[in-house]
Amino acid sequence: MTVDSHSGVSAVGTDGGAVGERWARVDARAKVRGELRYAADEALRSCLDVVVTRSTRPHAVIESIDATRATQVDGVVDVVTGAELHAILGDAIFTGPAFADQPCLAVGKVRYVGEPVAAVIARGHAAARAGAEEVAVDYRELEPIHDVDAAVLGAPFVHDELRPSVVFGDLAHLHGIRDTNVNYEYVLRHGEPAAPPPGSTTVQHEFWCPPTHHVPIELPFTAAWRDGERLEILSTTQTPSYVRQSVADLLGIPLGKVRVRSAPLGGSFGAKMYDRLEPLAAALAWTRRTAVRIAVTREEAFLLTTRHGAAVTGSMTADADGTIVAADADVRYDTGAYADVGPRITAKSGMVASGPYKIAQAHVRSRCVYTNKPSAGPFRGFGVPQVTWSHESLVDELARVRGEDPAAFRRRNLLREGDVSVVGTPMHSADFVGCLDAVTAALDWDSPIERPTGRYRRGRGVAVGIKAVLTPTISNAVLQLNQDASATLLISTVDMGQGSDTIMAQIAAESLCLPEGSVRVVTADTDVTPYDTITAGSRSTYHSGNAVRKAADAMRDKLIDIAAARFGVPATDVKLTGDGLVSTQTQETASIPELLHGHFGARGTTLTSEAEFRTQWQPYDKQTGRSPQVTEHWFAGAAAAQLTVDTMTGRVHVEHLAIAGDVGRAINPALVEQQLTGAAVMGLGHALFDQMVFDEGQIVNGTLLDYQLPSIHDVPDKITPIVVENPHRTGPYGAKGVGETTIIPLAPAIANAVRDAVGIRFTRLPLTSERILDALSEEDS
Amino acid sequence: MTPIDLTVNGERRTVPVGDDDLLLDVLRELGHTSVREGCGVGACGACTVLADGHSVSSCLARAVRYDGVAITTADGLPTDDDVVEEFVAARAMQCGYCIPGFVLMGHELLAENPDATAAEIDAHLEGNICRCGTYLEIRTALQNVVARRRHDDMARRRHDDMAKESA
Repeated sequence: MTVDSHSGVSAVGTDGGAVGERWARVDARAKVRGELRYAADEALRSCLDVVVTRSTRPHAVIESIDATRATQVDGVVDVVTGAELHAILGDAIFTGPAFADQPCLAVGKVRYVGEPVAAVIARGHAAARAGAEEVAVDYRELEPIHDVDAAVLGAPFVHDELRPSVVFGDLAHLHGIRDTNVNYEYVLRHGEPAAPPPGSTTVQHEFWCPPTHHVPIELPFTAAWRDGERLEILSTTQTPSYVRQSVADLLGIPLGKVRVRSAPLGGSFGAKMYDRLEPLAAALAWTRRTAVRIAVTREEAFLLTTRHGAAVTGSMTADADGTIVAADADVRYDTGAYADVGPRITAKSGMVASGPYKIAQAHVRSRCVYTNKPSAGPFRGFGVPQVTWSHESLVDELARVRGEDPAAFRRRNLLREGDVSVVGTPMHSADFVGCLDAVTAALDWDSPIERPTGRYRRGRGVAVGIKAVLTPTISNAVLQLNQDASATLLISTVDMGQGSDTIMAQIAAESLCLPEGSVRVVTADTDVTPYDTITAGSRSTYHSGNAVRKAADAMRDKLIDIAAARFGVPATDVKLTGDGLVSTQTQETASIPELLHGHFGARGTTLTSEAEFRTQWQPYDKQTGRSPQVTEHWFAGAAAAQLTVDTMTGRVHVEHLAIAGDVGRAINPALVEQQLTGAAVMGLGHALFDQMVFDEGQIVNGTLLDYQLPSIHDVPDKITPIVVENPHRTGPYGAKGVGETTIIPLAPAIANAVRDAVGIRFTRLPLTSERILDALSEEDS
Repeated sequence: MTPIDLTVNGERRTVPVGDDDLLLDVLRELGHTSVREGCGVGACGACTVLADGHSVSSCLARAVRYDGVAITTADGLPTDDDVVEEFVAARAMQCGYCIPGFVLMGHELLAENPDATAAEIDAHLEGNICRCGTYLEIRTALQNVVARRRHDDMARRRHDDMAKESA
């Protein structure tokens, strides 16, 4: 692997020797030896197993459920239906982060094939599975709606009325609205619509991104048990703080009576967040006063959540000078049967649907639409890859129609530091031009490539991406400095492979001049670790990182105060170094162990500090969709690919893929490069083959025998990850997140290279061999 | 239930198993949680173990067929295992869930083919999925094992030759 590290200007000094270092992951050896314990590896109290009976209909009224034969299966303890839980819990059974529309077991109606209808509780997984097969459900079928564009138009309706949750105040006006499948609409209006100027060029296309699945290799797992009047949960979740509140609301019990523990996750990418298995496990454990465990199969995991399929009607206009003057996007997100966080995705992606460009006039309409399919939710990129597929294809085509180099065309139109985007919020620490230049330079863009005219055709393509970080959010950190000069960090950030336990240890170590290996990060446990909004949306390095930095700075100040008293000098004369505390006046020194021993008069003591970090926004204007502070910061990334297309087989072979992200400041460049590369490999799958296929609402490739994921053979011949650093003024040591940055522009970079190679513009993902061959033969005829 | 003799990481024990019990579940119940289900259909490699040195998808293997067979799991590898060392050094992990499977596949390959090339490594690992996309680091780790063993081998031979000469 080639690595070109562009070391940026480091605005903030790093005397502590931790930030910017390539520390090994704190759990590296345990991961390689398989000794790290994931949720399902933990020894638990004895639990009953739960398997659900799933709907075989996409849209139907449940006439009756007969559990007689199921209860006769050896080992089956109980069979629970949605109606029974609804009778106990009331409408609190309907949960969700944006809309309270999803029951953990269907109540009255089913809305997708695979929806849980009844829960079988049994001694042992096999008995539960056998019982679930025996539950007989009588359905009265309703007309289903599968296509997002048909659902926009009207009946049949997936829900009788909209049920916005109490979480987001700005959705309150949607409460009780009937006869629509559109649960949310975001509109952006920037500039006055005008006729295209003379000599201008317009391109317009219909784009489609299919639903895809996250497929973290670790399967979702939740255990829950009642401990007197408390409920305890161990779950594979990125959102322990959210789950705690959601479960307290579901059961109608105080927040303090719910304990949620997470664990290191075996990947997630958005699959394991908000309400997944937790509401059902909690409801069963609480109402049946027992301990339950839900371990789903891969086939079931495919039904829990998906990435939104999205249709985009987009157009873009450049004037005679090659300035982009107008952009239009009509975006329809297929959110499936339940909204989940779809409405937030719809707005967050709508804001950037015209791309990272200075544009005088932009209009976006972005809608979140119910259909009778599994619920779509968050997925690495949060809806932005779908609109980037549109704007980066359009920009590319516009450049080509104008006869201009696509990179040069972009460079002229890209937003720069201080520029205000079409959504009204200025740019800072988002170096789109730097990312574009880095990836094109890596490909030696300005030198012509060899372009064979036979079976194999070579091409190059580039794309740029923009995304806003989730705002407003909250992070907290509690730090304990142990008397032996090691530290224990309590945060609710979940390490799911992004390396947060290592990054946060580095940030904590920096202010305290602690060495590698001295900071332990405690796994999220709501009885122990403080509130954190979510581990998602590439927010942790900035938000949790800032809380950790503030807590570590507070700890340093405490140490200095204690040392100043010990040395009898003012605090301003005390410095903390790698060797401990030193008086610049008297040269007296004390190591941290000596200082704490002296302070407390005991060994084994701990000194504690804590900090919170919050971000604020100005909600976007309802009419224009604009706000001067819609987000705390922006992510900027770019991808460039050189590839060949085999015109006999339709296969794409990527020879070189360069990817870059402006991360503000890399806390750990090695982990940043892994995130840039890993997101690119995942994005390559989305570009070339990764998709969920549905037939009348039934998923037809929901096993890993049928669902294609990138393997070692799909890795490009060469990958160049490039770290671009423009420190963020309020980032911890200038840092921002990175996990999504390179998945965003990946698919259009590949498609633009295919366009360059064979002259065909693809507007539907993925670019399978079959689709490419079809297009080539259409071209011939 | 049929009692079978299972030797796991050199430790022999008798385990009663049902006809349908999967090797995956039996090993996990014995505490070897480095063996993990990822797909249940033998398509991801997370459940890989070595049975008499050969890789097996334990999610498809009936435990009853492994009577008298020596099983190796990643958690039972020696503490100075060179494949483990090179995975750690090459940072060949992100979430880490799939990595034990890759480590065992690497052991199998390099036992059969100590001079495995990058292409041969790729061919051997094609059935293992790393969703975090850590393939380049994994390939590098195994190439480094090849180089390390070759180097150690040469050093050993040199040492033997010198010993012969002085004798």
